[in-house]
Amino acid sequence: MKFYLALWLAKIINFLINLVSRERGTNLPGEKALLLDPQFVRHFKNIDWDKVIFVTGTNGKSSSTNLIVHILRKSGKKVVSNLEGANLLAGIATSLAKEASLSGRLDADFFVFETDERFLPLIYAQLPAKNMMITNLQKDQVQRNGDPDFIVRKLKEVINPDMRLILNNEEPRSRAFDQIAKEVVYYGVSHHSESFKKGDDYPTLACPVCFHDVVFAEYHVDNVGPFDCPHCGYQSLNQPDFLLEHIDFDKKVFTVGDTLFQMPYDLPFMLYNYSAAVAVCESICGVPKDRQALAFDSFKNIGGRFEVLSYKGKTIKYMRIKQENPDTLQSALNIMASDSEDKMVALGLYQLCDFVPHYANTFYAFDCDFAPLVNSRVERYLCFSEHVAFDTANRLIYEGVERRSITIMNSDEIPEIFAEIEKAKTDNIYLITWLSTFEKMKKYIEGGIN
Amino acid sequence: MAMIKIGWLFPNTFNLHGDRGNILALEFELRRRGHEPVTDKITLDTKEFHPLDYDILFCPPGEMIHFKAVIDYLMPVRQDLLTFIEKRPLLVTGTSIAMFGKKVNRVDGSNFDGLGLIDVELVENDRVYGDDLYFSCRYNGKEMEIIGNQIQMMDILLKDEAPFGLLHYGYGNTGETRFEGVHEGKAIFTNTLGPILVGNPWLTCEMINLVEENKEIQPFLEERDNQLELASMKTKTDLIAKKESHLIPVSGRVR
Repeated sequence: MKFYLALWLAKIINFLINLVSRERGTNLPGEKALLLDPQFVRHFKNIDWDKVIFVTGTNGKSSSTNLIVHILRKSGKKVVSNLEGANLLAGIATSLAKEASLSGRLDADFFVFETDERFLPLIYAQLPAKNMMITNLQKDQVQRNGDPDFIVRKLKEVINPDMRLILNNEEPRSRAFDQIAKEVVYYGVSHHSESFKKGDDYPTLACPVCFHDVVFAEYHVDNVGPFDCPHCGYQSLNQPDFLLEHIDFDKKVFTVGDTLFQMPYDLPFMLYNYSAAVAVCESICGVPKDRQALAFDSFKNIGGRFEVLSYKGKTIKYMRIKQENPDTLQSALNIMASDSEDKMVALGLYQLCDFVPHYANTFYAFDCDFAPLVNSRVERYLCFSEHVAFDTANRLIYEGVERRSITIMNSDEIPEIFAEIEKAKTDNIYLITWLSTFEKMKKYIEGGIN
Repeated sequence: MAMIKIGWLFPNTFNLHGDRGNILALEFELRRRGHEPVTDKITLDTKEFHPLDYDILFCPPGEMIHFKAVIDYLMPVRQDLLTFIEKRPLLVTGTSIAMFGKKVNRVDGSNFDGLGLIDVELVENDRVYGDDLYFSCRYNGKEMEIIGNQIQMMDILLKDEAPFGLLHYGYGNTGETRFEGVHEGKAIFTNTLGPILVGNPWLTCEMINLVEENKEIQPFLEERDNQLELASMKTKTDLIAKKESHLIPVSGRVR
């Protein structure tokens, strides 16, 4: 009876929220339902665990989930998912409550859930999915996660021999889970024009098998690429089950097997999301590649990381990075470096304000190779954001940028940021900052100042 | 003026928090003084590692899962490391302090012995704590203030050792005392992660002053321009002064 009360409460809350806005309240119905019935998710009916797919990992969870669900729905499948990105137990509870009948019965071909890697054991305890796709396991949110092994241990609590894993062939940490699961599907990306190498003094990582050093032949995105451990022989496969090939950013196409796909976004960090989605949709859901290719044409990512603004004749290209996450910063640096035109770079790395205590951490910037950017016709740098602007400038100076080429602004005042942007001779402006500052900048422009 | 050898211990195994910045800071200051820095990466595949071949050693923070393999590798040179820290600078940051202590107690109930260079015991915590860290310390005879970050995954229980610094703000060794890190001989063991030597060039300078003394090199007299780092310290201490925190205030801690 507790379950029914919880379900109906969730449905009522959801209905009320929808009266206000369809965009809001992705957690609240589930949160309240779980208060009434702590085993709420476990009690839904007609969920075949073989049809449940968890998407987890450090970077790319939301984009991959969105794409998988898009492909499946375009292929006529009925899918339950937490597309709004609410990836904790309450978010999943909300999604299930929305789609269930009043008796808690679900009717879907597949259940695809983005799952926060730290909360995976809690989610799995109520929803024992048989399939899990892992994007990658990287350094991320150290204030929460400490180090990647902290997350590896969380995943090990869940991954078991009965699971089917879909693993990134070129990411050493997550790929090593193939030693546990009974069935593994590997996905990967081949060499492309934005593949890169880093200077010799950039560290790599320890082999997850023998702890000696992993060597990367190159990176397709930061810390992901064909790798080898010379000590124990642990290495990426030359031919994973699903491999993105013939990647052409100009024509925005790639192939998987014999099938030609349109690239919805010509951004290198999206490639592994494409590959993973194709792998999941064919190997788990049985959607053939030619059918998937049709769906790629119409894919629109929710909450993408790249946006463009116009301000007084200048084009401001905003790239959202995840704080404390060197891989997303490296991807943004590479995109800027690949632009051969004159440019101004505005870097607002921002203090960490996730939860109490807030703190001023920019050390992850030293994991990133700024050299290609520094050598790519940057007219001027603006380092802004209170408490971290000086450290950000120092990172550039350690890469050889002269102090006089950097404006340091120890504040987040939007008019001041725009005033500096106005001073640039070039119209080509790159902006990296956290979402909140960007939203304020957008509002400032929309406020009639433009 | 002189070739200065830096040993970077296990950079690929221990690569968590932009620690490469510390090597850049050392090399930058050495070059400014006209020296020729030579940095060797010491890895588990390095056939022969002789600590006394180096002028400076740096060990970045790592994941505990790797510690036993590294302890096994370093154990044969334990005595050389003890000799090294009598006169030469060794910088160990973050969790890697555990390897140099006597015993490590893991959260799952297991434990293992460290190298025993310092008389401390480490206790892994079941949760992570990340924050700013601000303390005073003395190195090579000079008083200084250090600012940085801490991602705390274990507590450091001092026995007969002296702390490296006394906290103005932060978690430090246990969150319950004012102690930060460990100071043994010329070795620094600190919870300050990432590029501590970038943000605190006064410490970098003292480490290199010590190297110059050890090598009987004429001291370099031209002062480094630290305006940027001092401005950074000022704005970060401003943040600390106004921030919300659940820590026990330093003024209310024992010792």
